[in-house]
Amino acid sequence: MPSFVPYLIHTLFPPDTRQPTELGADFMILVSGAGIFFYLQHFKKWKWLWTEWLTTVDHKKIAVLYLVSAVAMLFRGGVDALMLRTNLALPNIQPIGAVEYNEVFTTHGTIMIFFMAMPFIFALFNAVVPLMIGSRDVAFPRLNAVSFWLFAFGALLLNISFVIGGSPNAGWTGYPPLTEIAFNPGPGESYYFMSLLIAGIGTTITGINFLVTIIRMRAPGMTLMRMPMFIWTTLCTAALIIFAFPPLTVALGLSLLDRTFGSSFFTLAHGGMPMMYVNLFWLFGHPEVYIVVLPAFGVFSEVVSTFSGKRLFGYTAMALSTVAIMFLAYGTWVHHFFTMGAGPSVNAFFGLSTMLIAIPTGIKIFNWIFTMWGGRIRMTVAMLYQLAFIPTFVIGGATGIMLAVIPADYQFHNSYFLVAHFHNVLIGGTLFGLMSGLYYWWPKMFGYKLNERQGTWAFWCFAIGFWVTFTPQYLLGLEGMTRRMYTYPLGFGWHELNVISTIGAFIMGAGFLILVYNIYYSLRFQDKDLTGDPWDGRTLEWALPSPVPEYNFARIPVVNDLDAFWVMKQQGVTLASSLRAEDVRELELPRNSGMPFILGLGFFIGGFGMVFEWWPIAIFGGLIVVGSLVFSAFDYNDRKHMPAEVIRQTEAGLGRLQA
Amino acid sequence: MSDSLQQHESSEESMEPGLEFLAPKFESEAFPWTQIMGYVFSLVLTFAALLLVINHAMAPTLLLAVIIVLALGQAGLQLGVFMHLRESRGPAWQLLPLALAFFIAFGLIGVSYWIMLFKTGVS
Ligand code: HEM
Ligand SMILES: [Cu+2]
Repeated sequence: MPSFVPYLIHTLFPPDTRQPTELGADFMILVSGAGIFFYLQHFKKWKWLWTEWLTTVDHKKIAVLYLVSAVAMLFRGGVDALMLRTNLALPNIQPIGAVEYNEVFTTHGTIMIFFMAMPFIFALFNAVVPLMIGSRDVAFPRLNAVSFWLFAFGALLLNISFVIGGSPNAGWTGYPPLTEIAFNPGPGESYYFMSLLIAGIGTTITGINFLVTIIRMRAPGMTLMRMPMFIWTTLCTAALIIFAFPPLTVALGLSLLDRTFGSSFFTLAHGGMPMMYVNLFWLFGHPEVYIVVLPAFGVFSEVVSTFSGKRLFGYTAMALSTVAIMFLAYGTWVHHFFTMGAGPSVNAFFGLSTMLIAIPTGIKIFNWIFTMWGGRIRMTVAMLYQLAFIPTFVIGGATGIMLAVIPADYQFHNSYFLVAHFHNVLIGGTLFGLMSGLYYWWPKMFGYKLNERQGTWAFWCFAIGFWVTFTPQYLLGLEGMTRRMYTYPLGFGWHELNVISTIGAFIMGAGFLILVYNIYYSLRFQDKDLTGDPWDGRTLEWALPSPVPEYNFARIPVVNDLDAFWVMKQQGVTLASSLRAEDVRELELPRNSGMPFILGLGFFIGGFGMVFEWWPIAIFGGLIVVGSLVFSAFDYNDRKHMPAEVIRQTEAGLGRLQA
Repeated sequence: MSDSLQQHESSEESMEPGLEFLAPKFESEAFPWTQIMGYVFSLVLTFAALLLVINHAMAPTLLLAVIIVLALGQAGLQLGVFMHLRESRGPAWQLLPLALAFFIAFGLIGVSYWIMLFKTGVS
């Protein structure tokens, strides 16, 4: 027994997890964990937690779960970013050293893409897609919960790596041979592969779920060309997910086999081919950047039309360009490794295909501008993000084109110029889009608006902070500073620009704090929105009360225009004004289930066992997984009835039932 | 499960005249023998490939050819037995996206092959 304990301590808490930052994180985890525990215990909330949240299959609640996780991960990724920037502003002091720097940039990138952007996007999908298409739920409600819990437990697995066993440190791309067991022992990279594999299953399921939902469950009359633009982008994102995640799964899975079972798919020795990993990773990676940016395009299309008080300009062109982007996104992945040496014809082909993407993207930019043209623009926070997005994204796209010029890319590649490019499109496109969507749909999700004045402050911090951070990075890249450096000699003339960049990062950090305060303040003090339509919206989600009742629509609406709700309002016949008692029928709704949570837990336990190669634990986790799947297959009791009278009473209580 | 959520969908029994072709063609077996056999066969195919490779059972080129054939068999099995390829509600619309999927998948494989060709000159 005594020899067992030191072994455990040494494995779970090796020396490099005993640094001040790690111990600080340990402390924070313990304190906040204890805080949550005592809160739940004191107010007897355990049952509430289980029945209302952990077992829910309601897409609106799953949206809230995703949102909370995404904001928490934005915090973690943001703290990582500030640690990186602080180190670069003080190249002589180096508050975090080389070893930790590698771990922190790896976690930063992985978290921001997989555990911040993706769940944030799924939060918006879940919150509004069924409402926008006039449906009562997604196609597979229980699988929807499975997606969430796989994501959540995958994220947990990656997050504990920092304090238990050691972080991954080979970048968010995880290239071999950096991840090979011979060069990178310890559990870090296994954590990376395992957590992304688990979360990836959830993501794939989400893709399938929303594709089927949109194809099969639109309200009568909503033809493809009457779908709101956000639905179009969701559809294309779902299709991208379904085809992009399998190559990632293959790349990660084979790497894990290499690490754990001594195979040599990507190893340097025994005829492995590390470059094949690079190919597979970007086969996923480039579609992935469009997976995270297309939903933002969708948000902006809704926001710009609502707050300009106009129909979206060039709807057909917008829809077609979304589809074009979806297809082109599959044909450009080599631009991430032009320098690998694949030869002139391969590079030329992919340089051209990359530039082609600028055409449909440009079409979209013009259409947004023309939608605003002559409109009566309302400067809400959601609209401010839209306005900031356009110039930011144009510049990000333009530097992308510069990177696609192959001879130039041999200079730019993996320099700070590249770092600035992708933050330009990821922050200016994805993050601004998500923020815009957050402010726009918050009243629908929670029943009150976020305070606009504080929101404006947060917006300016993000927008100004963004440019202060990344303009210097373009210059640094041109001056030869490469990515993933933890320090540099002072004599290179890079110091001033790095300090400016760090200041910008802290301005964005301030923006995040204001955002959190904004949420807290609004939760406590904002007035309830009783109309359900605080922005004078145009699409069906605004036809419902906020927050939306469990069954969404008492009666499924009939759609006869793109701006369905707008037209209803023009004609004076909204859902509320036309619902009669006899229209309401008994409904069948999905019943809550604990299976998704248990399944996720099984994956977590099994994954943890895999990471440390403790086979009994891995097998135990696997058995939980199989068990919950078998249970679910024979669980026919998955629906519940909602009597018409309950619905009538709910609607009448909201003043939406006509006598 | 979702269909029942949609009030507007008519029930299956009362097919309107002329729309009989929309009647669902679903397989029904008292006991899922097909699925169980399919499961066993898919395991057999997997382990056959694994054993052949681990034991270097043949010359590399032949080995590659054999495991590709095994993989195609596996894909067909999964689609036919588990992915409801042979079932449909009305015309077999699922073949259309499936064709697209094959196009994309084989396109990506082909292009990857083209990209990786250079290594023959390097290493
Ligand atoms: C017109 C549009 C775009 C073009 C032409 C373009 C072009 C490029 C090129 C050529 C590279 C590789 C440069 C190098 O490694 O040397 C690159 C990297 C990257 N781009 Fe873009 N891009 C565009 C839009 C986007 C968008 C919309 C996003 C995401 C929302 C994005 C995210 C990224 C990321 C994350 C990387 C680098 C990842 C890494 O190496 O870690 N790009 N882009
Ligand atoms: Cu790319």
